[in-house]
Amino acid sequence: MAEARQNFDPTKPVNMIELTCDQVDSIYQHMLSKGMPEIMWTVDIQKFCWEEIRDAHKNGKKLVAFGGPVPVTLLRAFDCVPFFLDTIPTRIASMEDLCSRFIDETEKYAPTSMCAIDKAQLGCALKNEMGVKFDAFVHATVPCDSARIAYPLMERVFDCPCFTFDCPFRHDDKGFQYVADQIEQFVPWLEELTGLKWDDERRAKLKEINEKANKAYEILIQLGDLRKKKPCVLPGRMLVLNEIIAPLAGTDEVITMLQTQLEMGNMLADMGMTATRCPEGQQPYRVCLMQNMLWSNTGIMDWMEKTYGAITVMDGFGYQDGVIIEDLDNWERVKYQTAQSMLLVPMIHGATGPTEYWLRVIDKMYDEFSVNVSIFMGHVGCKHTWASGKIVTDYIQEKYGIPTLYVDVDAIDPRYKSNDELRAQIGEYMESVVGAHNFRKDQ
Amino acid sequence: MSYEKLFDATVCTESAKAWRASGKKAVGTVCCHVPYEIIYAAGVLPVRLRATGCVDSSDAESWMSSFSCSYARSILQYLMNGTYELDGLIQTDGCMMPTRIFDNWEHVSKKQGKDQFCYQIGAPRITKDITIKYYKNELQGLADALSKLSGTAVTDAGLKAAVEKYNEIRELVAQLNELRKAEKPVVSGAEALAIMIKFGDYTPDEYIALLKEFLADAKNRKPIEGRARLMVIGSALDNPDYLKVIEEKGGLIVAEDNCFGERNFGEKIVVDDNDVLGSIASYYLGRNTCPRSLDNRPAIHKEIIEKAKAYGVQGIIYAKMQNCECWGGEAYYLEPALKEVGIPMLQVEREEQMANAGQLAIRAEAFVEMLDK
Repeated sequence: MAEARQNFDPTKPVNMIELTCDQVDSIYQHMLSKGMPEIMWTVDIQKFCWEEIRDAHKNGKKLVAFGGPVPVTLLRAFDCVPFFLDTIPTRIASMEDLCSRFIDETEKYAPTSMCAIDKAQLGCALKNEMGVKFDAFVHATVPCDSARIAYPLMERVFDCPCFTFDCPFRHDDKGFQYVADQIEQFVPWLEELTGLKWDDERRAKLKEINEKANKAYEILIQLGDLRKKKPCVLPGRMLVLNEIIAPLAGTDEVITMLQTQLEMGNMLADMGMTATRCPEGQQPYRVCLMQNMLWSNTGIMDWMEKTYGAITVMDGFGYQDGVIIEDLDNWERVKYQTAQSMLLVPMIHGATGPTEYWLRVIDKMYDEFSVNVSIFMGHVGCKHTWASGKIVTDYIQEKYGIPTLYVDVDAIDPRYKSNDELRAQIGEYMESVVGAHNFRKDQ
Repeated sequence: MSYEKLFDATVCTESAKAWRASGKKAVGTVCCHVPYEIIYAAGVLPVRLRATGCVDSSDAESWMSSFSCSYARSILQYLMNGTYELDGLIQTDGCMMPTRIFDNWEHVSKKQGKDQFCYQIGAPRITKDITIKYYKNELQGLADALSKLSGTAVTDAGLKAAVEKYNEIRELVAQLNELRKAEKPVVSGAEALAIMIKFGDYTPDEYIALLKEFLADAKNRKPIEGRARLMVIGSALDNPDYLKVIEEKGGLIVAEDNCFGERNFGEKIVVDDNDVLGSIASYYLGRNTCPRSLDNRPAIHKEIIEKAKAYGVQGIIYAKMQNCECWGGEAYYLEPALKEVGIPMLQVEREEQMANAGQLAIRAEAFVEMLDK
């Protein structure tokens, strides 16, 4: 039996940031040595993301932890490095030892039913193993009740200046304006935190960052359009990588990553090829994962591609698109549209408001992405989306005539369900309900 | 004595039926952030929904899944099976579970062809000027919608009269709880909770009459002696039988901190004549009913400790509903704070259905034993 890989020395405290930077760097070096230039861009962005956090203070910037939807572009305009705490759980989800170290810590004090995204980051904070000291913590009152346990606790643990955005359930004009008004209050708070003034220089900086964020979101929309094509040229796991836009909107690096992905995708499409693992010329199934991405087992998407020619074209809580800020010189509009983008990011757009909002997301996905396989990959910590599940899946059955597979998973904690069990559940559905051919049986 | 019916915790909808039979509307509410006064001012009867005695929530479970909170699920069950026959449901985004009661009931009632007034208001999760203003606007929207529903305009005068009515209830409930401070109270924890949850079963006038009758007779009741004075905190608790299990093992529950006990009533509302709705908004948003908010944890902990001292509490039972995240993480800071003042805390998990009464009895007995030494 192969010995389990140890990701850290359990007898010593972990330095989460250093450890991640080292791991990403070793992947980078490995790929360099193997000569894989065509996919280096997938690691370049991760390297930038984590090293920016590690080196924030060295580079004279304030390091600001954040949770939930917050105006990242403003943080960058005030020369801060935003650290999206959700990147910890999503990064370590495939590492059972590290993941369980933090989750188990949280479960000493909080219920096991809490979302593991929050359990993992809170555990890291409680163990004081982030490896960096934050200058501030900015968070929102969404996405869910689990976050609402974690954020107030982390506020006290981090013991630094904090700002909370109250995000309403309504994603309409009233709701957007309410958040926009809070952005107005956020500016003087940032002035005090950074010592920088909200003057012409700062406004120009914000405009520049928003221009870059617009560019990134425009490419993201084009990538979405590319995924609508048949066959879908981009693999399911690219959906996971693209989530990195959350902390990096407004940077050149995320534009480069998305642009490269788009160019490669277009090139493949022109050549009649795909970057998926579907058997050549065989991509009969277009899957929508209706809930969170399964970070603890992103390989399941590769397996579905290889085994059934089933490509994950979109995920329910992912980025279908983004808000493009139209009038960058009009502060009122910038605030309003920033608020819109905050309430329309993944997990917030479909899950924090009435179930009706989720149905809108479903319509967009099923109409535009030609979905013909529907999987409710239900993260057990996301109890409120489970509580909408029947409304949503009945809707899909009635409107699109597609039966949905329910699978309970833990999006972060790999201990919840084994890969074999998950494959068996999906496989049974694909073969008996969808009527899919198992290509691997031919081999 | 007619007040005896206050001790029967079974959900009773006779008053709501009579109210509706007279041509008026009655609507259900879930969560502490739906102001009763606004509903009442519109001539509509607010019915605080509860799930007491629900032993099978399987229909609701098919909609909300087994990962949902059984309290929320059971309320949906009572709406679906007709235990509650009302004209609608008013809900805040209190926590995510009641939000889904709302979504599912709106959906299911439509499928059932029921004409329901379903209205959701946003209750911010931090309290400051900007959030109170937003909440007030939400309440104005509710007032307008209710006026349309009932044909009775919600006016400042109507709101003030409603505040007066509900303040009277708050005053009487405060008197009830004052009785529990006695060394040998004349009301047990289970009885007190039963009285408080019956609030949702009656019209304000009926409830006031029953409370007055009870308080007038309280001096004739037999004092109760317990081996340990306890306080129960945690998720929504609407089942006096749960407290009875603890009290049968020698505990005497003299106080509680959950959204169905005293917290549902709180202090009186003080109205600013120049901004009546604003006064209601400030009151409902500012009181610390539940850790659903992000900025009230330290205040809630402080209030728990102060209440424990005021009621001579020797130990606290922290009863968390499974899948209730709001009350999930309080132990981290609360337990050490309680230790500092010498009050031990027992943590238990529960479900709406009395599924683990045996285990609760054993743990409660051990806790009482420890406190009694």
